[in-house]
Amino acid sequence: MSYYFAIIGTSDNPIFEYEFGTAKAGGDGVPRFPEQARHMNQFIVNASLDNVEDVQWGGGQMYLKKIDRYYNNYISAFITGSNTKFLLLHHPTTPSTTSTRASTSIPANPTSPQTEEAIKQFFVEVYENWLKTVMNPFYTQGMRIDSPVFRGRVAAAGRKYL
Amino acid sequence: MASASKAARIGEEVWKSRVDKVNAELVTLTYGTIVAQLCKDYESDYVEVNKQLEKMGYNIGLRLIEDYLAKSNTMRRCTNFKETADMISKVGFKIFLNITPTITNWTSDSKQFSLIFDENPLADFVELPDDGRAQDELWYSNIFCGVLRGALEMAQMQVEAHFISDILRGNDSTEMRITLIRYIDDEMPMEDD
Amino acid sequence: MASSQPIKSPMGSQSQNQRSSQQGLKYPSNGKTIYHRPLNRSRTQELSQASFAYLFGEMVSYAQKRVTGIQDLEKRLNNQGHPIGLKLLDLLLYREPARSQTRPLHIIALLQFITTTLWRHLFSRPADALEKSSNPDTPEEYMISDNEPLVNQYISVPKEMNQLNCAAYVAGIVEGCCDGAGFPAKVTAHSVGKGEEGELWPGKTVFLVKFQDEVVEREAFLGR
Repeated sequence: MSYYFAIIGTSDNPIFEYEFGTAKAGGDGVPRFPEQARHMNQFIVNASLDNVEDVQWGGGQMYLKKIDRYYNNYISAFITGSNTKFLLLHHPTTPSTTSTRASTSIPANPTSPQTEEAIKQFFVEVYENWLKTVMNPFYTQGMRIDSPVFRGRVAAAGRKYL
Repeated sequence: MASASKAARIGEEVWKSRVDKVNAELVTLTYGTIVAQLCKDYESDYVEVNKQLEKMGYNIGLRLIEDYLAKSNTMRRCTNFKETADMISKVGFKIFLNITPTITNWTSDSKQFSLIFDENPLADFVELPDDGRAQDELWYSNIFCGVLRGALEMAQMQVEAHFISDILRGNDSTEMRITLIRYIDDEMPMEDD
Repeated sequence: MASSQPIKSPMGSQSQNQRSSQQGLKYPSNGKTIYHRPLNRSRTQELSQASFAYLFGEMVSYAQKRVTGIQDLEKRLNNQGHPIGLKLLDLLLYREPARSQTRPLHIIALLQFITTTLWRHLFSRPADALEKSSNPDTPEEYMISDNEPLVNQYISVPKEMNQLNCAAYVAGIVEGCCDGAGFPAKVTAHSVGKGEEGELWPGKTVFLVKFQDEVVEREAFLGR
């Protein structure tokens, strides 16, 4: 499974972006988006923002689960109290080797309950690190996050849960 | 050192029973907004921001000394600068910020010492801007230097205080150097005959 | 005790012309960054009210020198409180126990969050009252009352500025919370306790929260 993760601010502005691949089920952590798909990722994620808006007033939870699908791309969302959105596009890659574990593993099942739970845990860990960024008096709402330490934390969360 | 443990006891007792308290994060966030505002107003001229912080601290120090004397109930003046240092660290910082910075690095003439801050509530959550200059030029907690200068001036001591390291700058400790320049009680106004 | 020298990380010893933002921030040799610090560490920590009062007093004095007039000063204080409201909205929601960790969806939920969770965190007690405007022309207005706002306790306002309300800072925090949660509003602080003989709370302040039309419309649409 390849993942494209983005944090979108309140003016639909991208604050942070990160691409990675699954580390589970023998994955090597490298994203495998076809070249043309990579450009599409941003558009797909942006388009799904409308769906976020539709869903966010229906319930008060922060984890919105899967909110959109575009061909073989699934988009899950998490929204914070201050309306910052975490969007994860997951793109299952066709398995090149057959493995008996593949059929139930997270990378092969973008919509299973285990995957949903794993994505939630990923979001929650990123959320905690995002909060630490936000509490900095020098960070104002809408600023891009360029900290390599933050990036490292997101990467670690990706390896841990996805 | 006798005065150190006595100071520690005074500080602890005053903090427990005679200080009205408030949530620490309110103070941290307020200070954060002050520094951020200064950086904006002075367009990231961090040297100027340091000056402003010191000045603000000085204004605070002039008023804070009365509060300190009233709360700590020490009408007796410190007999030497070492005792002053103990009182600053274990009573002064304690009753206002609930921290007791470590006193160290005395010069042989006992006129200069360092305060090392293991904890600094004003700097919680803070990371300096990554603009290639802030970490070299800004002393985030510079307000402390001004507070000490103002408060000690009212207590008849002229001192100079400045930071020499700060973990926000990537140093391993946050250290302030304080120098006694002179006692001020020589300047009595001339009696009219 | 060994003297501590400011230890620069290896990157710091490189030549001056390599100082660019690509180099990134320097960190102490123990590698601790803001990301290592637990978010809840200072949750219940306390400092002296005096330290808040002194800082706030300087904040006001400094602002006074840069503005023309009281309204401008209040606006500036409001602006300084605003980002704090945004930060606290997220921080306090994060700290709520999982069951009550819900984003406010309706005006009342938001205002209850503000008058209880936010107020308790900042001032160790909930706000004294929350009321909706009874004026049919202004259904989008709500009032939060605080009998003894902390910010006004230590500020003695000079006579010529007696309309100034330093609680404009708290109003800014509230406004930041409202804006952040998706309920854009304008919040202003008004002193209501002064002037009357024997008034129980001379420092009483009312925070007027005026929500924008879109918020009222959405409330109606969502059916509450």
